[in-house]
Amino acid sequence: MLDDYRRSFGEAYEAVVRTIRQRGEFPTGRLAKSTRSIVEKLHRESIRLSQMQDIAGCRVVVMDVVQQEQFVASLKTDFPGASVIDRRNNPSYGYRAVHIIAEISGKPIEIQVRTSLQHLWAELSEKSSDVLDPTIKYGGGPDYWRNILTLSSKAVASYENLEKVPVVALENWKKSIVELRSQYVTEPYEELLRDEELRIFMKAKAENLKLVRAWNELADVMHGAISWLDERRLKEQKQ
Amino acid sequence: MIFLIEYNRREGSIATFRDFDDSQRREAEDLRLDIELVLNRKGVDHEVVLLEAESQDALRRTHRRYFEDLRQILKSGSGRDQ
Repeated sequence: MLDDYRRSFGEAYEAVVRTIRQRGEFPTGRLAKSTRSIVEKLHRESIRLSQMQDIAGCRVVVMDVVQQEQFVASLKTDFPGASVIDRRNNPSYGYRAVHIIAEISGKPIEIQVRTSLQHLWAELSEKSSDVLDPTIKYGGGPDYWRNILTLSSKAVASYENLEKVPVVALENWKKSIVELRSQYVTEPYEELLRDEELRIFMKAKAENLKLVRAWNELADVMHGAISWLDERRLKEQKQ
Repeated sequence: MIFLIEYNRREGSIATFRDFDDSQRREAEDLRLDIELVLNRKGVDHEVVLLEAESQDALRRTHRRYFEDLRQILKSGSGRDQ
């Protein structure tokens, strides 16, 4: 019966994936959740099967947060009335992404839109939940590893917030030029304005470099933590 | 393409991997159910998932955890451009 239910999402899933492909993205789709995941979620969240919004869905990983915003905006146009769950500013145990729940013929289909960094973080969290402790995904597990995940999730957010700055600066500059031209302002003013936006751009670039270095240092710490966890697991296996 | 993965979460490794043409969806769904029923009967705690992607490479990019260990996943995000 459960299998019939999850298969019933097939047509809605197809429609969503077709629409996304028309946008030039090629999502990886999950035709339907595994029985095990469905049962676990029902236990964990005390919800009914009919309330589950992620029986079927797909995932799109885009390069950065600027592309993510553009893609989310296009999905909102393609699926008017879809719910948008933005976990970037309110992360769920460190998990950041945007989820769109599109409803086709009464069947909810979840579209996960992640940047490459959000995706990297999610894969690390999921994999460590698999092999270290299943509660890691929900804020549990060894303190040391959980702290590292929390820290790296915040690092991703800082990096991505900064990633938007040069784009915004460029947009502002373009907008100001258009406005000034309409007011017949002379070229020196345009140059002044351009210098100001360039200064903002360069400052963001410098901050960005600092964050990249911090990220790489954090990755080194994570490598060390994995070695420590591996040793601990080996010891446990021997005992 | 459609991919059927039976994944051993504790070991972090794939137990069964099969691929299907897009036209074989029903067959893939049937096989998934068969595997789930067998595992359930035997009391084996594996995840069985059916995924659709443009290629195996695309699948490996969006679902690294099935194919790579923690160190490999981390490596994919280290050494970002400076």
